[in-house]
Amino acid sequence: MGRYILRRLVQGVITVWFIATATFFAMHNVPGDPLQSDKAVSAEIRANLEARYGLDKPLMEQYFIYLANMARGDFGISFTQQNREVNDIIAEHFRISAALGILAIAFAALGGILWGALTALYRNRLPDIVIMLLVILGISVPGFVFAGLGQLGVVNLNAALGFTLFPVGGWGTVSHMIVPALVLGLGTMAFLTRLMRSSMLEIANADFLRTARAKGLPANRIFRKHQLRNAILPVVTVLGPSIAAITTGGFVVELVFAIPGLGRYFVQAVQQSDYTVIMGTTVFYGAFLVFMVIVVDIIYGFVDPRVRLE
Amino acid sequence: MALLEVSDLHVEFDTYGGTVHAVRGVDFRLDEGQTLAIVGESGCGKSVTVQSFTGLIPMPPGRIVRGGATLRGHDILGGGRIDGKEVRGREIGMIFQDPMTSLNPTMTIGDQIAEPLQVHAGMKRRAAHARAVELLEMTRIPEPAKRAEQYPFEFSGGMLQRAMIAMALSCEPSVLIADEPTTALDVTIQAQILDLMVDLQRENGMAIALITHDLGVVARMADEVLVMYAGQVVERGSVDDVFYRSAHPYTLGLKAAMPTNQGEGEQDLQPIDGSPPDLFAPPVGCGYAARCPFAMEACQGQPPPVYGIREAADAYDHESRCWLHHEDCDIAAEGVHKGE
Repeated sequence: MGRYILRRLVQGVITVWFIATATFFAMHNVPGDPLQSDKAVSAEIRANLEARYGLDKPLMEQYFIYLANMARGDFGISFTQQNREVNDIIAEHFRISAALGILAIAFAALGGILWGALTALYRNRLPDIVIMLLVILGISVPGFVFAGLGQLGVVNLNAALGFTLFPVGGWGTVSHMIVPALVLGLGTMAFLTRLMRSSMLEIANADFLRTARAKGLPANRIFRKHQLRNAILPVVTVLGPSIAAITTGGFVVELVFAIPGLGRYFVQAVQQSDYTVIMGTTVFYGAFLVFMVIVVDIIYGFVDPRVRLE
Repeated sequence: MALLEVSDLHVEFDTYGGTVHAVRGVDFRLDEGQTLAIVGESGCGKSVTVQSFTGLIPMPPGRIVRGGATLRGHDILGGGRIDGKEVRGREIGMIFQDPMTSLNPTMTIGDQIAEPLQVHAGMKRRAAHARAVELLEMTRIPEPAKRAEQYPFEFSGGMLQRAMIAMALSCEPSVLIADEPTTALDVTIQAQILDLMVDLQRENGMAIALITHDLGVVARMADEVLVMYAGQVVERGSVDDVFYRSAHPYTLGLKAAMPTNQGEGEQDLQPIDGSPPDLFAPPVGCGYAARCPFAMEACQGQPPPVYGIREAADAYDHESRCWLHHEDCDIAAEGVHKGE
């Protein structure tokens, strides 16, 4: 187990290095740079600035300087936001994105497992048909539509209640988090519901369920201990990529609900060619996702004994 | 009173293609300590027979049209209860064809064996677990304490079938139903599993209903034999009667389809031509008529009644469902034992 985790961590570091390298060269090949601005800058000033930021050095030298700094955990200072270290931006805003993402994933996973199990139990009957229809909506309607509808719903709810149950936007308390997390997790929840349903139906015909019935076990014990646990395995497998989709896809929801998460800085930095912020956030996201996939793999080992001996 | 008695069992399945008449009137009785073998080719209804009265076939699409099943006189049709207590796992233990898929892959072997003890005998987890280890030892699994902590993927097929037997016998049932228990195992392991079943039966006196299509297994294990074809019992009797005084042409066909290479009895495999009848629309007459070398006009149009073969030498009646036994029939059917 220890060796397995160590090997996965080493693979993870290599993956992150690859992400950093690819991002670095892609960024430098895109037209424009962080020193471009609305005001016309004379060639001399520009040359001075380039020298100051080290942008006049050969590309490979810049690359190695960058790698060396990154290895020490230093992502540098933002080009466009004065005196802000990239590390500070990440530290301050990622906490918010992570809290939102974790809540969204929890909603998605619990909801997906619950609805999926329910549709399988009521196969081809009314609850199944209704839920599967909603699932198609959940998969095909884009997140910003749900975000807008969510806000509209919150406004009407608060008006009907006469007090503010859920704030329409902003950040701070748990009640700020609930609606955006639901909206953010909706697509993934719909996807997981489908997965859980098919997995439940596949297992419904398994020989070991017949064995459980032959042992005379009560129906709810068969469902909990024999069917559900085995049906969840495929859902756990896709949780890693789902976390990826939710944390990086949070940008739109953060924008609509005025949540000061990292996603906004990530997108802004790309528009402004803010080299250090792009590099910092990309590498950070990459490292985070690689780490989450490893965590999910380890969790999988606890749910399914067959993968433990890897 | 018989321990287990199944009477006039009719089972149908609704499918997109129509209704399959899988079991068409099966009766049998099983006494304490006795071994009954049910033989027949794939699709003859032998598994459906035992899985329907124990409530293991999915319903729908399955349906028990009529019939009865009693255990010590109590009605248990569909896997019911006696005095409010579950019959399956407690009174009737079951093992199945493929041990590789018959165990829950995410639960330890010990937990799976302990489960019926916790549910039926009300044992605490720890006590049930200790008993599970004893049961594994009883089925001759080495290092049972260590094995109980392992998962099915760490066991071989033969070991899994032993664990299945330990699980089926955990609550000391009076009946063990073994649905092709050795079909998925290789030959040497088959012999070990069968020996184990015989030994355990000698120790605790349970009755065994053994479903198989292997006549070698029948000869080795059974007291009484039921030969099934197209959802009906075509011949029944003691193992000697059925093997040495076969009364039904289908039983003869089965025997001929079993090649031997021993001494003077050396014999090539002679398949039975044709295929079993379509059970969407079972034939009016005898189900075997289309493949039977002795088929007469009567066989097509009239269902044959069950004839007792009179000189049965032992405790089991010898019966055959075939027109050849009619008193007016004077066809000399080679090999068919007509009695008298």
